Amino acid sequence: MGLQGVEVHGHRDAVQTTTAVSALYGENLMESRGENLGESLKRISGVSTFSTGNSISKPVIHGMHSNRIMIMNNGIRLEGQQWGAEHAPEIDPFLADEITVVKGAETVRYGPEAMGGVILVNPAPLPTKKISKTNLNLVGGTNGRMGNINLVHVGGSDKIKGLGYRIQGSAKRSGNVKSPGYFQENTGVSELNLSSSLGYSSSKLGVEAYYSLFHTELGILNDSHTGNLSDLQNIIVNGRPFADGEFSYDILNPKQRVTHHLAKLKSHYHISESWKLNFQYGFQLNHRQEFDKRRGNLNEKASLDLELYTNTVDLYVNHTHKNELSGTWGINFIQQANSNVPGTGVTPLIPNYDMVNTGLYAMEKYSKGPLEVEAGVRYDFRNVSTARYINQELRTADIAYQNFSAFLGGLYHISPDLTFNSNLGSAWRPPNVNELFSEGLHHGAAAVEIGNPDMVSEKSLKWINELQYDGKRTHLEFTAYLNPISDYIYLNPTGEVYTSLRGTFNIYEYLQANALFYGFDFAGSYEFTDKISGYLKGSIVQAKNTDDNNYFPFIPSNRMDWGISYDFSKATDSRTNKITLSNVLVAKQNREPDFDIAPPPSAYALFNISYNKEFNVGDDKLNLGLQVQNLFNTNYKDYMNRFRYFSYDMGRSVLLKINYEF
Amino acid sequence: MSTKSNLYLIALAVASLFFSSCKSEDPVPENDGELITDVTLTFQEIDASGNALGAPFDFTASDSEGIEIGSAPDVETVMLTKGKRYEMSVDVYNSVAGEDITEEIRAEGDEHQFYFLGSAFTSSPFLSYEYNDDGAELIGLKGIVTVQQSPGVNTANIQLLLRHALDKNYPGADNPNFQDYAKAGGETDLDITFPVVVE
Repeated sequence: MGLQGVEVHGHRDAVQTTTAVSALYGENLMESRGENLGESLKRISGVSTFSTGNSISKPVIHGMHSNRIMIMNNGIRLEGQQWGAEHAPEIDPFLADEITVVKGAETVRYGPEAMGGVILVNPAPLPTKKISKTNLNLVGGTNGRMGNINLVHVGGSDKIKGLGYRIQGSAKRSGNVKSPGYFQENTGVSELNLSSSLGYSSSKLGVEAYYSLFHTELGILNDSHTGNLSDLQNIIVNGRPFADGEFSYDILNPKQRVTHHLAKLKSHYHISESWKLNFQYGFQLNHRQEFDKRRGNLNEKASLDLELYTNTVDLYVNHTHKNELSGTWGINFIQQANSNVPGTGVTPLIPNYDMVNTGLYAMEKYSKGPLEVEAGVRYDFRNVSTARYINQELRTADIAYQNFSAFLGGLYHISPDLTFNSNLGSAWRPPNVNELFSEGLHHGAAAVEIGNPDMVSEKSLKWINELQYDGKRTHLEFTAYLNPISDYIYLNPTGEVYTSLRGTFNIYEYLQANALFYGFDFAGSYEFTDKISGYLKGSIVQAKNTDDNNYFPFIPSNRMDWGISYDFSKATDSRTNKITLSNVLVAKQNREPDFDIAPPPSAYALFNISYNKEFNVGDDKLNLGLQVQNLFNTNYKDYMNRFRYFSYDMGRSVLLKINYEF
Repeated sequence: MSTKSNLYLIALAVASLFFSSCKSEDPVPENDGELITDVTLTFQEIDASGNALGAPFDFTASDSEGIEIGSAPDVETVMLTKGKRYEMSVDVYNSVAGEDITEEIRAEGDEHQFYFLGSAFTSSPFLSYEYNDDGAELIGLKGIVTVQQSPGVNTANIQLLLRHALDKNYPGADNPNFQDYAKAGGETDLDITFPVVVE
């Protein structure tokens, strides 16, 4: 994958935009190997996670997650069942050579729902010359007794100039995670992923075919599956599972099994020197099965079984002119069919539905000297039709949405090492089917959730400003944003309980309110001497319900992260030989809504240590990394982990990471 | 140009794939298999040697929609006589799927156990309970209920709890009136409170 190569040759942003962009690549990406996408991205300031236990984590950008951010798998918008809090993104971080986070509202470029930001998971470009390179990653971790292997082979053809390919596969297995003093039962993960691409490029034409498979089976902490409200209250009071558990690799019910196929075909053709025509087609099939603890034969049946097909077609032209003007005009088409696989013995959580979205957009950029100015507009039409049986009664709905979005951005190089950029973008997001049609019990949360079919689209405006300084010894990034949203959809506890033969449950309903999100991110590093360097990063998000002057639940609390590195290598040696001690500080969430089933957990501090060394083995390159996470085996809970109700977070883990390039 | 015709072929292939995954399936009604809609307590008076006396009688708690928003469950008041012993059996039924859940509970006896709480058994106990299931496993589908001869009060309530996937070896878990049942792990499948009157 040439990770070090990326470092040496410098780095070019995966997306050309005037909005704030941060990327994870090279050494930092290598250090994150073995973690899921959400955990890996925590290394970027302004990005945190919304998690369910220690194996499911969703990235959060500036307080937004799930359907308010978009994840692109090699240029195709990932369409899984992202609405669910316990539905992790169906993507293998190993397929990426670089993961980029766009923090601005990029609805015009990427389509509706890219309200809070976009995550681009991109493999390296395919080789166009004769080459044969293999990269092996091995990761082992003590906590959960985790093992992870990844193999990538990249080749370029000798016979046909411009023909190249890549195949990649990874497998991961882990067992019960250990919190200080006990094992979290049934928290194993088994993952198997593949990706491959084949591409041809000449001076005029480029064609690429790509396929990726993501398959995971993961256990859900036993004790989180509560039968009713008093079960939930009992475990909250206890603060941790009742039993100490033991280690096992077994994955039992409750569990999730998810398979995601993604295939794409992309082509571009240079019509002339300044005009390029692009075509991209993507096909996705997401199959999600969730198994609950049930009685008898029902244990073999999934209680949620969804098949989601998505087709996306992009057709666009780029133009670049010598007179400093460049732009993109295009049409984007998304078609989706979601079906509940019959036979679950449970009324489906969300209905079967068909969705069609057509978007037309145009963007233009003008650059002159130190200034770049960019603007774009987009119009989307969306139709959704749903059908589901509830109590033997067929309920259908047809809903149409249309929306206009636009952005204006600029970038100014104040001096060669100081840049300022500012971007104002509008975005919208139609309500999800679960927000419209939920009606029933959410297991584990001891909650009955009720949707509202009359909800309207969320509309947001995000203004994001970034100042970047790249000095000789100093690197600084400061981002500030303001993000008002009208008709923000959230799940509100009604304060009422519902009584059944199974006991009582809290009732939650989906409501809309006006919201104001704002906050800051900062990231900086400084080389004190040639040997010693330090870094500091942090973020603050504020999210207010401006209608009733309250806060929204599950917004990240203030956090920062700092560390000091010592470099053992000689000045003449460019190979890594470095030890880093880092400290993560997470504040208590004091900006809490009036109602929560448990108070926010206390602030915590974690210490991590890592040592990385690079060797040459003949012509090959070997990277060794040794990390200790949660060095002092600190007992802590994170506000953004939904399983803080049931358990402490993961304890100490020692990880060995090997990367061999040959 | 050949590139153009290639593109045309690609577009055609794409279109054919596209139409194959174009429409969602028609929805199918599901019968909620996990649902419990009716719980019946049947009392048979017995003498000191366990022989049946008179006719059995029963009391039911029912909620035709199961766990759905709307109606609250209908729960009958249990009426018993002072100083008598009864064999009490519990029947659990799912009227939506037409399933006898009692059988399922019996078949998975190692994973299920009823607890009998509420003021009638705990704070002002005038009832006592002993497990008397057919097999060796303590389940609580069948048991002996004894009413005190002269209780201090004559109204109270019976909380019937069915725990699933509990640790049956947890210390105290064999007590039918085990108030710390949560510590044995597992989850609640049923939690109903019957009013009870003794005369």
